[in-house]
This record gives sequence, C-alpha cells and structure tokens, in this order.
Amino acid sequence: MTVQASVAALEPKGPDPDAAAPIVMAVPKGRILKECGTLFARAGIVAAADLLDEDSRRLRFPTDDPTLDLVRVRPFDVATFVAFGGAALGICGADVLMEFDYPEIYAPLDLGIGACRIAVAEPRETAGSDDPRTWSRVRVATKYPAIARRHYAARGVQAEIVHLNGAMELAPSLGLARLIVDLVATGATLAANGLAETEVIAHVTSRLIVNRTALKTRPEAIGGWIARFRAALAA
Amino acid sequence: MTDDPPPSPALLPAGLRDLLPPEAETEAAAVGSLMATFAAHGYERVKPPLLEFEDGLLGGAGAATAEQTFRLMDPDSHRMMGLRADMTPQVARIAATRLAGVPRPLRLCYAGQCLRVRSTQIAPDRQIAQAGIELIGADSAAADAEMVLVGAEALAAVGLQRFSFDLTLPPLVPLLLDAAGLAAAERRRLVHALDRKDAAAVAAHGGSLAETLTDLLHAAGPVERALAALASARLSGAAAALAERLAAVVGVLRARAPALRLTIDPIEFRGFRYHTGVCFTVFAPGRHEELGSGGRYEGSDGEPATGLTLYPDAILRAAPERAARARVYLPPGADGAALRAQGYATVAGLDANVAAVAAARRLRCGLALIDGQLVTIAGK
Repeated sequence: MTVQASVAALEPKGPDPDAAAPIVMAVPKGRILKECGTLFARAGIVAAADLLDEDSRRLRFPTDDPTLDLVRVRPFDVATFVAFGGAALGICGADVLMEFDYPEIYAPLDLGIGACRIAVAEPRETAGSDDPRTWSRVRVATKYPAIARRHYAARGVQAEIVHLNGAMELAPSLGLARLIVDLVATGATLAANGLAETEVIAHVTSRLIVNRTALKTRPEAIGGWIARFRAALAA
Repeated sequence: MTDDPPPSPALLPAGLRDLLPPEAETEAAAVGSLMATFAAHGYERVKPPLLEFEDGLLGGAGAATAEQTFRLMDPDSHRMMGLRADMTPQVARIAATRLAGVPRPLRLCYAGQCLRVRSTQIAPDRQIAQAGIELIGADSAAADAEMVLVGAEALAAVGLQRFSFDLTLPPLVPLLLDAAGLAAAERRRLVHALDRKDAAAVAAHGGSLAETLTDLLHAAGPVERALAALASARLSGAAAALAERLAAVVGVLRARAPALRLTIDPIEFRGFRYHTGVCFTVFAPGRHEELGSGGRYEGSDGEPATGLTLYPDAILRAAPERAARARVYLPPGADGAALRAQGYATVAGLDANVAAVAAARRLRCGLALIDGQLVTIAGK
C-alpha cells in the first residue's frame, strides 16, 4: 500500500471547477425572501415552488435554468457562502456586507429591496440627555459588533460589545447595555419597547453580490447574470 | 481555581502548519520545477535572508508591507528587525545595491518563505511560500508581457492546465481620483466602493467621475470589452499612457500565447500598494485563492522593474495530484542502487528476522525486492 494522500486532502475540495457545473446563488431566508421572489420573476428565473416556503426542509433549489441553482441560508450566511466561493452569487443586505467587509465579495448591483437602516437607539428617557463626545467607552448591545465598534471608534469612543442575535430591544431595560445598534425598518419595535432612535449609521438595501474569483474566472457567465438582474431592475 | 488542561503539543499558532509526507516532497518538487522554468529563461537565483533591519526591509517598495511584518529586536545591535512578509522588496534592494553595477535588464528569481502578521478567515495561512521573478531595468510592454509568459510556462510545468491572468492597472484609479480633486473623506468612501465594486456607492460618491468609473467597473472581464471601455473613457496624460501600455501588453500576449486565458479589471488596485503600472493576478477556475500576482513597480532609486510572484501552496492545491515516488522494500543487505537510479525510493530493512512482505506492508511500500525480483505488495 503506498500513501497516495494528496495535497488537496488538506483542504476541502471547492465546487467542481468544471464550467458545466451550475452557478450557485445564495438567497436569504426571512424578511427579504419574498421580495427576492418578485425580483426572480422579473428576471425570468423560475425557482422550485417551495423556495418561498420557509417550512420546506429543502436547502438547495433548482431553477428552470439548468445553469443556476439557489440555496436558501440565513441572511448573515449569504455573505459567508459567497465570500468562500461556495456560492458565486448572492442576495445580501448592505448591513451584512458592512459588518463582515469581506474583500472577496463584490457588490455590483443595488437591488433596491429590503430598504431599512442601521441605527443607534436608547431608552426614551435618557435619549439625548448626554453628550457622546465626553464618553471614553460605551456598552452596546448589537448583532453588528464590527459596525458598532467602527462607528464609535471613529469618534474616539471604545465600544464594549454585548453580542446578541436577537431581541436587542430588551438589552437596555435589563441592564445589559446602555444603547443598541440594530436594523430598523419602521421603528415600531423600538417604540413598543420604550426606545428612541438617536442616530442613523447607514441606510441599507439589498445588493446582488458576487464572489471575486468567480467573476475573474467565469466573467462571461457571471457577468451575464449581473446584466440580467440589471435589466430586470430597469424593466 | 481550576486547572486548564495543558495545551496539546501538536497545536501550532494560527495560520501555521506542518507539511507531512508526501505533501512536503510534492511542494519541494513543485518549487523546484517553477524555479527550473525561471532559470531556463535566464533568471538567476538570489537568496535574501529571512530577517533584515526594519528600515531597510520596509523602505521603498517595502513600505507597503509594514503592517504585515513581524518585528523583533536584534539583541546584538539593538536595532529593530523585520521578518519579510514579501520577497519582492528584498530582491529590489539587492538589485539596487549589491547588483547595481550589473548591466540591465537584470533578471533575478527567488523562492522562499514569508510570514504575515494577519491572516483572514478565507486565507488562513500566515506562512506563505513565494517563488518569483523580477525583471529590473526594463520599462516596456515586452517586459510586462514576459512576466505573464514565463509565469504561464512555469504553471504549465507543474501540471496546471486551466488558469487565467487578470490584468489590472492599480495606479489608474488613484490617478483619476487625483485629477478629480475629491475631498479626503469622499475619496476614502469612493475607494472602498470601487474596491468592492459597489456600483451603487460608486454612483453616490463618484461625483464628476461617477459615469466613467461605473463604465470601467462594468467593463471588468473579457479583454476586448475592457479595452473598449478604456478606449471610450477619454483618459488623458498618465492614465491614457497606462491604458495604452495595457493594450500593448495584451497585443504581445495575444501574439505570443494566443491560447492563454486573459481578463482585464481596469479599476482593481489590490495587493501591496507599491505597483506603478500593468499588474497581474493569477486565478484558477473553481479555486478561491490567487495563485500568483505581480506587476510593475519602481526600484529604490526609481529604476523601472516588473515581477511576478507565484504562491506554491495555492498552486499545489489547484494542480493535479502527483503520484508519490514508489517505495520498494529492500531486505537487509540488498543493494538498491539500480532501483534508486530508476527513480524508486528504496526502504532498507534493518531486521533480518521479519518477513519481507509484512515489513514492506508495515513500511508503506507498494513493492518489495524478494530474491532479486520486484514483487507487488497487495494492500490489506
């Protein structure tokens, strides 16, 4: 028996490099999925019917185009799948792109869907009662640790992050943090929990994102999809 | 207080790894094969040291590697030293100093290991092998194209069949931004947007340049489309000269290597920021890492130079598997010189009391020399 282990055994094998393999596009579960469905219809992509059914256990969905498959993952994971090249294309909120800031991701198209904002909010009673310029540090509850840290670092404030995955609105009242940095669509959840929005960090919409290497190595195919979505938006 | 379990002796610092058999040998063979191609094209090998004084290592073109460089103090001279993060600045230093008197153009090649302070989730290695060439003292499309042609030949020599060179013009975007006179904050945002090909943000922050930049951004990809977009971008001065040089390089490559797969990305400006002209990045389909990169830069005394660095680790991950050298078990006292001359690895038995077949199997030999005959050893 000779040892025939390969160098490649050290690394997971990427997707089949064969150009005939379908291009994988990652789409986010939840809030934006329905709007994605509308967009696909405008771009003439017919996905398996249960794509929009969040109860379906299927994760990978064929489309009527044999060269395109969809995978449905959590919004934050869309960026990770595309950054690693597991998916060549994706639909991803600008909030997620700001948070991870993956250099491997290009965002060539603003899809204009899922509009909302990343904002700072604090309890209504204390909102605006203090001058943030005097702070050395502030405790922030958020699911965007990098965005919050960057935002406060730019003004010379060290953000101490309490990383939560949901229900940020509870954090100030339960003493976890003084304020929160969160995604705000209408502000209704903030208001219902006694919070007031004090600052907008960024307005966000969803983007069509592309893996850098995929664009470099399959420019015709990937460029074709970008053009198709651009045409769908213009239509 | 609780006692943590002692760390495993096998645990290495993040981003570092042991190469085991047969990968370690495969890597050495691949580097040898790359270097042989370089040498065959007249590139002479130099070997700079791992450590240099910080001010030398990080001067000139090396300044861009400062934040990726490990430092330590020299207990002898009490000066700070840096552990190279990239070999190109070292070779540029050698060319400008010790080899300053050698007639130009000077062709040098090198191979070695570099260390980087930070890795990323996607590129986790902190120790990076490099094998590269530098062509110093020539500023022409032919010199730029030579990097690509020699690089492509070296990649083919290690068995890589499908790869592409992405041609870029890193100074183009800074030139356009300088000419537009954008405010610093706006410029930072625009540069980030361009780096991520965020068309919406480029349109928002691009000001008077928005249209040109958006056109160039969408032109990334096939060579003809990108060259057409550059031609219609109404560039002037240094920017126009860059675009002309790129077209000339493409012309040389098309003539010399018509089958070579090329793409152009006119607005890309990644990597260590010391490049001053046409640059290249090597990709392989299905592999999500660069196999090499390089391009035109200025030596420490302003001497024109270009180079290409290949990354053997990434190349090996993309290259087809190589069969390991066949191992032959030699019973104690047997002579294997003839077998070694034929390319076999001979594994000498040390204990006369074990059966040859069992010993061969235990020592991972596919063959054994039994009674002067090569016998195939069946696996278990």
